[in-house]
Amino acid sequence: MGAGFCFSKENMHGRLACRLVKEFNSGEKGQLNHFNEELLNEVAKECSENFLVLQSLIRKMQEEGLDFQTTRNADHYGALINHLSLIRNKRCLLAYVYNRAEMIQNLAWTVGLRLFELPEEIQEKLSHPEKEYFKKHSSALESYMSKVDLDLNVDMVPPKDPYIKVRVLDDVGEGIVVSDKAANFARHSMHFLKRTDAELYISRGLMEELTG
Amino acid sequence: MAEDFGEGSTAGMDEYETLMATTDVELLKTALRNEKAAPEILQIQTQLVKRAREQIQLMEETVEEFEQSGMDPLTVSLYQMDLDRAQFLLRSYLRIRLQKLEKYMFYIWKDDSLRNRLSEPEIFFVKRCIDDMEKHLEETVLSKLPDNYQSAGRQSIISEEDDMVPEPQLDTFVACKSSNRFVSLRLVDRYKSSFFWHLLSLIFSFFQKQVCKFAFINLQWETFGDGAP
Repeated sequence: MGAGFCFSKENMHGRLACRLVKEFNSGEKGQLNHFNEELLNEVAKECSENFLVLQSLIRKMQEEGLDFQTTRNADHYGALINHLSLIRNKRCLLAYVYNRAEMIQNLAWTVGLRLFELPEEIQEKLSHPEKEYFKKHSSALESYMSKVDLDLNVDMVPPKDPYIKVRVLDDVGEGIVVSDKAANFARHSMHFLKRTDAELYISRGLMEELTG
Repeated sequence: MAEDFGEGSTAGMDEYETLMATTDVELLKTALRNEKAAPEILQIQTQLVKRAREQIQLMEETVEEFEQSGMDPLTVSLYQMDLDRAQFLLRSYLRIRLQKLEKYMFYIWKDDSLRNRLSEPEIFFVKRCIDDMEKHLEETVLSKLPDNYQSAGRQSIISEEDDMVPEPQLDTFVACKSSNRFVSLRLVDRYKSSFFWHLLSLIFSFFQKQVCKFAFINLQWETFGDGAP
């Protein structure tokens, strides 16, 4: 077939892109995998190859004096297949990046608005542009919050009681003053705190709420 | 006074209930519920948010005053609890809207009627979101693709419309609560195209009624904008 259409399983159109999307999907729900730059670039390369074949087929038809709009020959369908493969690859690439970006948006809500607040193991899974995206998106959120003058990333669960029992998980240090009292927040110590005060430390993983 | 009590008590209770149902806290609850249930963004309740903020501030001042004047800690904590709940409602309401904006930024932005449902800060927010997302997609993927395929919203240069914009699923089921009033309306095709939201939990004997009521709610949702749910 003069269409650059290859039936070998390894090089079949769209196979790599499919792998990329599957890889995103294979992660545990809500867990990011490493950003697979290598595979992404390979798919992008396949797109360029599709485009080259597409162009050369169109050129060939033009040289033969055929009208591309109306002629339905092997070259036309070859070009079409390459066009459709390219679009499919593009959608897969964007789906991969876009869905990851959505998870990154989610991090800003659930973990913290600053990059350094993200745990090491999440940070290393992000690509450089993704880190930039996180920063920019967080600052968009922050600027909204400062415009309405209200913190929106606290109070994520409905308040039941103004006070909750917490256990300190890490050495938070003594410098912390909660409301009016300065307590000794040694590791593993338990306290009865105002929910609004404790929430900040809970979201950073420094304290945990004791229930029941 | 005592005579009033006997006769007027039911009417009084009704009035009391109506009054309670129209407090800002109730309105905010309704707004939050609607926003949560609806797959797409609804009209921002600007006035309601403004009033809620004022009331929250007032409550904060009251609680502070109580604390300073050495009032019974239990009473103070009851006030505090009320305050916390009001704040949670307000935050959740604004938050759920932002999360919808994050999810459907392109879709909302290109439709004037949807864009008009946003508040000023939300418009700024969604604009920034779009810029950031476009730049991110551009840098990571689109710049690596051939010339005619670099649009974020369209598959290729020959696409006649934006065919790559994530859209909310409008043809879906939602849980809803009927209001007291009953208006006999049928679910017509018109709704199917835009808002074919079904009733999730139905009592079968009331099927017809519930669907009608639902259509009524649906109508309300399409037309309200002045803050009256």
